[in-house]
Amino acid sequence: MPAATAAGGHPADHAAAPLLRLIDIDKSFPGVHALRSVSLDIHAGEVHVILGQNGAGKSTLIKTLYGAHAADKGHIEVEGRRVAVARPADASALGIAVIFQEFSLVPYLDIAQNIYLGREAAFARFGLIDSAAMHAAARTILDDLGLDYDTHAYAADLGVAQQQMVEIAKALSQNARVLVMDEPTAAISEREAERLFATIARLTQKNVAIVYISHRMKEVQMLGDRITILRDGAVVTSVLRDEMSQTEMVGAMIGRPSGSQLARTPRAPGDPILFARGISTAKLSDISIEIRAGEVVGLAGLVGSGRTEVVRALFGADPITGGEIALSGSRAPTTLDARVRAGMALLPEDRKREGLALPLDIRDNATVASLWRRFTSGWFSPAAAERDTRGLIAQLGIAAHGTHQTVRTLSGGNQQKVVLAKWLAAGSRLFLLDEPTRGVDVGAKAEIYRLIDQLVDGGAGVVVISSELPELVQLCDRAYVMRDHRIVGHLDDDALTERAILELVVHQ
Amino acid sequence: MTAPTQSQQRPGAGQFFSAIPGAGILLILMLALFTIANPRFVSQTNLVNVGLQASLLLMIALPMTLIILTEGLDLSAGALLGLSGVIVAEALLAGWSVFAACAMAFAISTAFGALNGVLIAYLTLPAFVVTLGTMGLMQGIALVMTNGDPVGGFTPAIETFYRSQLWIFPMPIVVAVALYAALWLLLYRTRLGNYVIAIGGNKDALRLAGIRANLVHLAVYVLGSAIVGLSAVLLIGRTNSAHPTVGIGMEFEAIAAVVLGGTSFEKGQGWLFGAVLGALAITVLRNGLNILSVDSSLQVVCIGILLILALLIDRARKHYSR
Ligand SMILES: Nc1ncnc2c1ncn2[C@@H]1O[C@H](COP(=O)(O)OP(=O)(O)O)[C@@H](O)[C@H]1O
Ligand SMILES: [Mg+2]
Repeated sequence: MPAATAAGGHPADHAAAPLLRLIDIDKSFPGVHALRSVSLDIHAGEVHVILGQNGAGKSTLIKTLYGAHAADKGHIEVEGRRVAVARPADASALGIAVIFQEFSLVPYLDIAQNIYLGREAAFARFGLIDSAAMHAAARTILDDLGLDYDTHAYAADLGVAQQQMVEIAKALSQNARVLVMDEPTAAISEREAERLFATIARLTQKNVAIVYISHRMKEVQMLGDRITILRDGAVVTSVLRDEMSQTEMVGAMIGRPSGSQLARTPRAPGDPILFARGISTAKLSDISIEIRAGEVVGLAGLVGSGRTEVVRALFGADPITGGEIALSGSRAPTTLDARVRAGMALLPEDRKREGLALPLDIRDNATVASLWRRFTSGWFSPAAAERDTRGLIAQLGIAAHGTHQTVRTLSGGNQQKVVLAKWLAAGSRLFLLDEPTRGVDVGAKAEIYRLIDQLVDGGAGVVVISSELPELVQLCDRAYVMRDHRIVGHLDDDALTERAILELVVHQ
Repeated sequence: MTAPTQSQQRPGAGQFFSAIPGAGILLILMLALFTIANPRFVSQTNLVNVGLQASLLLMIALPMTLIILTEGLDLSAGALLGLSGVIVAEALLAGWSVFAACAMAFAISTAFGALNGVLIAYLTLPAFVVTLGTMGLMQGIALVMTNGDPVGGFTPAIETFYRSQLWIFPMPIVVAVALYAALWLLLYRTRLGNYVIAIGGNKDALRLAGIRANLVHLAVYVLGSAIVGLSAVLLIGRTNSAHPTVGIGMEFEAIAAVVLGGTSFEKGQGWLFGAVLGALAITVLRNGLNILSVDSSLQVVCIGILLILALLIDRARKHYSR
């Protein structure tokens, strides 16, 4: 463990009064007690990590602190003085800035306008915005982060990682005393994350307080001076970094011992379900893949190496320009809906956009892919759908307060389970899972692994795309490795190791 | 291979042509075609006519652009134009000064704008339904005030204003250009402009930035109605009479102009100049067909085709540039 404080975080002086205190904050949503009397002390110059599973209440805590939600009970103190934070402007005035988990960029404003949204007054001249000055200021902020983005680019034209970096730039530009980051590294690359960590180190040296929300143990160990663990809306414990081991932290997060890092148990695969030979699309060339019943097949490779394109092509979501696909020995139907009927299921990378209808409830989402087989007469029966959904919620352990909870308000892990429920209901036999555990916490991850095991035991075939090598190695029986839109290797049994994958991905 | 950051590049000189929206291309084509078909089309009198007609349409299409940028819609704009004209006319007949009459129309228009805005921004009712409702309300009031008859015989001061010129430019065109300049500054050089775009793009982001997003949202409707209300002066100046139903349908033409110019109904994507291109395209088409004595119902067909063609051109080019 590199105990050397990578973030430059000196053990903060806890004798000093905290810069910011949250005291007994309580918050309920209809049917969910999201925060239970949460108290938190945040010290200047300290990185305070808030650790918790999805749905633990981390984001709600931040939104309450920022005045975006009104707390039901409790209050906030800054430097020992009680303050009222009724709306975001109040929090800003107190020197609090937040990098939100959901993106808060405006698509058709440019980067500079987004960074200074709401703070344009600083650049006003005779009531008009001096846009040259604003772009120059934005340039400085971006340069500080080592970003060469054009400040005139619309947010709509940025990729997810770029948007996240602009969010970070936006928060940094506020020169806040307390900077809150809600899972800032969820969507960015290693290199960008390094820059962020360097920036955090610089800020703590300037005595800024950082509240860092994460569920990545590596970051927690590297950055956190003090760590507060949240579970089911309540603080489990609040410790200094060296007072608790990683295992204990994971334990505290999920509330049960983490039975992680098991050795892979060999499975006995059955007949081939899918056989693809030499398929090409606009973005792929010569992909050959076989998936049998009762096995988990990995697709490894860097982001952008064509893994997502492979599952989309197999699923029928992208047109194929060459090659052939066989399903259970016979030629696969060409249209997507026929492939779904033949038992194929896709859990897309971007579950919020492609996997779910966020404004609809769990029932509507979970039943949408199976209406054709459940209601063959054409008449919909709400009672039957209701029954099925309750069954699925129980089977998958979805944490929700009923079948009618809007999917938007579920945590990431539970949303992912709803996508799975949709395909379970449709009786799928071949599951294509694109980054199934991305943005999902340790506890929900373990549950998703368990569900994958159940699927395979039931005779389904599963394809898993994952950027996390340990996960891939542990979960899969064998894996194809991709580079530059081609398959460059196949690893199984003892050959399937993190090192072997890396060599295939990186070398040559 | 295309670089992922391709879309970030600013259009250079070589890319200028590809930056002209579908409406612009169709406008140029129509100008050429009508000129060839009948040279009278490019006579000075006719071009001034086109300018006069387009400027009234613009008075509605420009504020409509702001409203559409907020992912909204104002179906009551045409009815308000008619009502406001009737109010000015009746006030003048009752012996009010021109200023007082206009102030009255302004006040009532603003109040209607505030009604639309409160219902849409604060009560989050759909703009389509709200403005459909207020459209009926306004139209009804205008009809009751006039028994459905045109109102005329008031002071010719308004007509005089309409026919006056600033140097060589007819006043209505001057007013429309001034409005364009003012709204351009507002949209692209003031905080409020950023906020208008943000409401359509991500209202939550605006709220989280500490801005009273609902108030901005409301303001857009108030501003839009205020402009439309004052535009009634140009409308009644043209014929020196007010007709309660004369504005009906103008809202659709204005919406068509905005969309024709490339402004989208989603996410605050669009640009103000698009409304100018759109309004000119529609007006030129109308005017050209008139000169070629095409039946007026057939003109409506042509406007529909124009709209769809412009959308197809934009879509095709977007596809091609990928
Ligand atoms: N706006 C909301 N309405 C209803 N329930 C919500 C809302 N926001 C969050 N919740 C619920 O509150 C709980 C905590 O959510 P959240 O703070 O987002 O968790 P975390 O950020 O730790 O993953 C979850 O059960 C979630 O479903
Ligand atoms: Mg969260």
